[in-house]
Amino acid sequence: MREISFRDALREAMSDEMRRDNRVFLIGEEVAQYDGAYKVSKGMLDEFGPKRVIDTPISESGFAGLGIGAAMMGLRPIVEFMSWSFSLVAADPILNNAPKMLYMSGGQFGCPIVFRGNDGAGGQLGSTHSWCVESMYANVPGLKIIIPSTPYSAKGLLTQAIQDDDPVFCLESERMLSMTGDVPEESYTIPIGTADIVRTGSDCTIVSFGRPVHFCLEAAEALAREGIDCEVIDGRSIKPLDIDTFAASVRKTNYCVVVDQSWSFASVGSEVAAELHRVCFDDLDNHVHRVHSDDVPAPYASNLEQEMLPNARKICEAVRSVTYNA
Amino acid sequence: MSTCFRVKGETPMTIDITMPRLSDTMEKGTVVKWHIAVGDEVSAGDVIADIETDKAMMEMQSFDDGVILSIDVDEGLSVDVGTVLAILAGEDDDNSVAAVDPVAVVQPSPTPSEPTLREETRAAGDQQRVTPVARRLADQYGVDVASLRGSGPSGRVIKRDVLDAAKITDEVRAAVPPSAKPAEPPAPIIEQPSLPVPATKVEVTPSPLARLENDRREPVSSMRQTIARRLVESKQDIPHYQVSMVFAMDAMMNLRKQLNAELADQGVKLSVNDLIVRACAVAMHRNPLMNASWDRDAIVYHGDVNIGIAVALPEERGGGLVVPVIHSANTKSLRVISSETRMLSEKARTRGLSMDEMDGATFTISNLGMFGVDAFTAIINPPNSAILAVGASIQKPVVRDGELGIGWEMNATLSNDHRVVDGATAARYLATLKELIEHPAAILV
Repeated sequence: MREISFRDALREAMSDEMRRDNRVFLIGEEVAQYDGAYKVSKGMLDEFGPKRVIDTPISESGFAGLGIGAAMMGLRPIVEFMSWSFSLVAADPILNNAPKMLYMSGGQFGCPIVFRGNDGAGGQLGSTHSWCVESMYANVPGLKIIIPSTPYSAKGLLTQAIQDDDPVFCLESERMLSMTGDVPEESYTIPIGTADIVRTGSDCTIVSFGRPVHFCLEAAEALAREGIDCEVIDGRSIKPLDIDTFAASVRKTNYCVVVDQSWSFASVGSEVAAELHRVCFDDLDNHVHRVHSDDVPAPYASNLEQEMLPNARKICEAVRSVTYNA
Repeated sequence: MSTCFRVKGETPMTIDITMPRLSDTMEKGTVVKWHIAVGDEVSAGDVIADIETDKAMMEMQSFDDGVILSIDVDEGLSVDVGTVLAILAGEDDDNSVAAVDPVAVVQPSPTPSEPTLREETRAAGDQQRVTPVARRLADQYGVDVASLRGSGPSGRVIKRDVLDAAKITDEVRAAVPPSAKPAEPPAPIIEQPSLPVPATKVEVTPSPLARLENDRREPVSSMRQTIARRLVESKQDIPHYQVSMVFAMDAMMNLRKQLNAELADQGVKLSVNDLIVRACAVAMHRNPLMNASWDRDAIVYHGDVNIGIAVALPEERGGGLVVPVIHSANTKSLRVISSETRMLSEKARTRGLSMDEMDGATFTISNLGMFGVDAFTAIINPPNSAILAVGASIQKPVVRDGELGIGWEMNATLSNDHRVVDGATAARYLATLKELIEHPAAILV
């Protein structure tokens, strides 16, 4: 199988769907003439033209609302946020309109729209541009959230998101866009709400989402040398959560660490822990341990930023602690 | 034995609170619940703990005034009679609560203590901490978590502790050749020093008795353990044999009917069993060996006839059986026997019996007639020398005075301790009983 980059995988998903379905279009800041701020949409203007690949002013609230209106009227927009940090100014359309449209219109209007962009720390972008929105947005009913960690899952999940009839938030990472991996040329989908066991092990389950999955794999390699054999699960979707897959693993290992790059309070990590405590109570030998970003605004200094984010060292410590090997 | 907490300064006069012997057969007791904590002031008569004995749940009172210095046995642990459970500082010792510093004075013992003793790392009064999966695995492998030394934080028993114990138990089992009879059954629990390091893989073979897919292993209550132990002892130590007799019940059924009709307005409702209890008690006068006990080199003839009545407990209360005792049944009227029996059975099924109410039986009756059983044999309730297994009164074709007719009959089987009661003695007792049952006017006086 050929290897392509994460950003190429995202583009393939969008282009495949735009070729297949002429209701699909891409809108966002610099997505057309500049080929995307991160070159995800490179070449798409040439192929699909300015009516389907649309540059916007810096006006997230405006173009997010435009997308929602288009979706209500039967189109299938892909709205790119240069960063999910900028989606905050579009909170009303993306949180108050898109997820509620189907409900508030009594089923008259759906909202088949994809919002996608970079989530999480990009690397010294400062606190206001380093948002991890997953925990905050996962609190809103009526939407789906996917968070691919590999080029393969990026293409499959985004394809599925575009075909989905509900609003889907796709959380990507600037730090992963150049990562390469095996991706089939043909179109395929990955069902939203299905996790993937990326490393099997018997001693401790590590559940993570998005970029930190790679830190978990790094930690698992280090822990294997200490005799602790970890199973690493890539959640892939945050909403809905594939608790069944997590639980099956925890029933085997009796221990779990959740690694979630957002902040700990009322987070994806706390939700996973709460659910595992509910469904696996009699299988747990310790409470579920969590690794999050520290509860501070993201620092600018590189060393501090790295220390504040989940990293392999913190994950190793959590696994040793949860398995009573600290 | 090391205690966890010591009082600063001079050693005060202390009083050991020990596991009391709450019945003549009690060897061990379980501290089900502590009602006090270290530092609490107690007065004589205060209830300080709930103790489960082989027979009942009892409240343990303090005999002295003072301050609790230490609690040395955790809730849930079973210890021998006489084991120090807690230490009390006498009132004269001017030992204020403030003098107890539970943090500064923890003295870890260098070696693992006896299995029944508390963990030094645990705070006094704390319940034992066991993780959910450790508890589940302990059930599965038959490991008694109460005696495990937890290697987790605060002495928490974790999966590894249970698997290690299960593995060792298994090895002990495996080490005993199947042909050799073990001198003692392998101890289910082996005290493990806590192992701080790595996640070692422990392969555990489940108990051979619970190996099938749908098997379920349930640890037993203290009562069930006592039933098991005492009945094995009884059947192994006592040379049992049985003697049966059939009793014509027509006269007794008629008497019962008549008495119940006449006494209904006084709330009297005699059962067949009440009449049999009375008959058995009265029959002892002519057969004193039936009301006696074997005591190594002597036979003890009991002055009172105390009749134990086996009562099955409801499944929803954990099942099992208890034996409430009608004391001096030979001197009690039918009416008293009946009301006492009803009261004790009801109390046994609902609240549980006190030790007095179960103590001192000299003869026991087990009646399965109400379940439709026509005949069975029972195991002697030590130190009794006999137990009467009573079947149902059944209407049958009978031959009376050379005529075939319909009559009530009941089978009763006496199990006897041959060391005390010979066959002829047992037969004579049954003959006396038959006379009383078939001519029941005699039991009225």
